[in-house]
Amino acid sequence: MSDGGGESGSKHQQPHTKRKFSGDDFSQAIAKVAVAQICERVGFQTFQQSALGKLADIAVRYINSVGKAANFYANLSGRAEGNVFDIFQGLEDLGLDQGFSGASDINHCLASSGIVRELIQYANEATDVPFAYAIPHFPVVKDRKPKSSFLQIGEEPPIEDIPAWLPAFPDPQTYFESPSQNERASDSYTEKIELGKQQRKMEMSMVNLQRQFSESGPSSFVHGDSSKEKKTVESNPFLSAPLHFEEKEVSSVVLPAKLSKEVALQNPVAKKHVVDNHISVMETFAPALEAMKNRFCESTEEQKNIQLDQRPPVQFKIGVGKKSLVKPLKSSPQNMDGGKIDPWFCKENENDERKGDLKIF
Amino acid sequence: MNHNNNFQQSSDGRHDDDAALTEFLSSLMGYTPTIPDELVEHYLAKSGFQCPDVRLNCCLCFCRIRLVAVATQKFVAEVATDALQQCKARQAAVVKDKRDKQQKDKRLILTMEDLSKALREYGVNVKHQEYFADNPSTGMDPASKEE
Repeated sequence: MSDGGGESGSKHQQPHTKRKFSGDDFSQAIAKVAVAQICERVGFQTFQQSALGKLADIAVRYINSVGKAANFYANLSGRAEGNVFDIFQGLEDLGLDQGFSGASDINHCLASSGIVRELIQYANEATDVPFAYAIPHFPVVKDRKPKSSFLQIGEEPPIEDIPAWLPAFPDPQTYFESPSQNERASDSYTEKIELGKQQRKMEMSMVNLQRQFSESGPSSFVHGDSSKEKKTVESNPFLSAPLHFEEKEVSSVVLPAKLSKEVALQNPVAKKHVVDNHISVMETFAPALEAMKNRFCESTEEQKNIQLDQRPPVQFKIGVGKKSLVKPLKSSPQNMDGGKIDPWFCKENENDERKGDLKIF
Repeated sequence: MNHNNNFQQSSDGRHDDDAALTEFLSSLMGYTPTIPDELVEHYLAKSGFQCPDVRLNCCLCFCRIRLVAVATQKFVAEVATDALQQCKARQAAVVKDKRDKQQKDKRLILTMEDLSKALREYGVNVKHQEYFADNPSTGMDPASKEE
C-alpha cells in the first residue's frame, strides 16, 4: 500500500552482482549521450534513467532498420553498395507509419518525396549541436601477429614432406608433461600436514605475545625476551609494537579552507554569544588538531601534558542540533582530550550551516 | 500539348528538386549532427549497409552517413517533442486542480509514461513495470499479511 503504487518504476534496488560488460556497451553509452543532448535541446531538463535508455535503444534500432532497408533496396537494384537513394527509400519505408506527403503516389521521383523535403526543412531549422565527446574510430580491430613460419625462424621442418613456408611447430614444452607436476601431486598430503604445523606455530606465538603484553606494559614490549616472538612480530606488521612519538614521520593535516573561513564568518542561525566565542573555539581546538597529527604515536600521558600546559582548563559543552555524537565533557583532565576530538569529527560530519550552541559554565 | 506542358513542368519541378537535393547534400558536409558519425557508421555496418572507407576523400559516402544521422536525429527529436507535449499537458492538468497549493515543480522530466504514449503513435509499444516487488505479499494490507 505504502510503497507499491506510488513509485512508477523510478526507484528500485540495484542488484549487487558484478556487471558484465558486453561488446555493445560502448556504442550504447554513446547513443545515450547523443539522445540526451537531443532531448535537452528539445526542452527536457532531466531524464529518468530507464526512459533515456529506452529512447537510446530505439534510436539505435532506427539506425539499424534504415541500414537494413537501404541495403535491401541496393541489392534489389543489383548493387552491392548502397547510395543516397537507397537510404531515401529506406526512410520512406520507416516513415509510412507516420505518413508523409506524397506517400500514396507510387511512381513519384525520390528526390521530390515528402521525406526529403521534411528532412531538408529540419536540417535548415535545427541549430547545430555537435556531440559532446570526441570518439575514436571503433570498433578497434586488434592486430593479430601471425605465427612465424619455419623459414622465418630458420629451422628445418622435422619431417621432409612439410614445406618450409608453413608456420612452425610450437615448443615441445607446451605440450609435454613436465615431471615436476607429478611429484607435486603425490606430495599434497605432506603439504597439508606442513601447513597445519605452520598454522599451529603461528597460533602459539600469538598466544605468547598476548601473555607478554598483559604481563608487562606496552613500553616493555619492544624489549621482548624470546627471539622467536620477535621474528613473528617482524613478519606480521599487525602484531608489531606500536610506534612511539617521533619514531615515524606522519604528514601534517591540512585544514580545509572552508572550515577555517566559515568558523570566522557569522552564522545567522547561531545565537549572539556564539559569535563572541568563535575565535576562542578555534584556539581551543588548535591543540586538539596537533594531538590528531601525532595520533598514532603518542601515549596518553604525553597528550595530557600538552593540553594542560597550553591553556587553562575550560569546561564547555557542545551540542550540535539533532544529532549529538559528542559525550558531555567532564571536569577531569583525562576525559578532556578524548572529548575534544569527538566534537571535531562531529563538526566535520554535520552540515556547514548548522552550528551548535556554545555555552560556558 | 497538355502532355508536353505537363512534361515540361514536371521536368522543371524535378530540376528544382534535384537542385534542392544536391544543395542539401552538400550542406550536410558543414552541418554536424548531434549523433556522431562513428556511431552511425558502426550500426550501419552491423546491419549490412556497405560503405567504402570513409577516411578516403569520398564525400559521397560521408553524405550517406550524415544523411542517416540527420534522419535519426529528426526522428528522436520528434519523439521527444511529443513526449514533452504529454508532460506539459499533464502538468497543466495538475495545476488546474490544485491552484491553492504551490505550483507544480517546473522541471520537465522525461518519464516512461510520456515516452510510451509518444512512441505508441510511431508503432513502438513500450510497456514498463509499475513497480518491482521482492515477494508476493509486498504492498498488501497488514491484516491480510498477518493471515
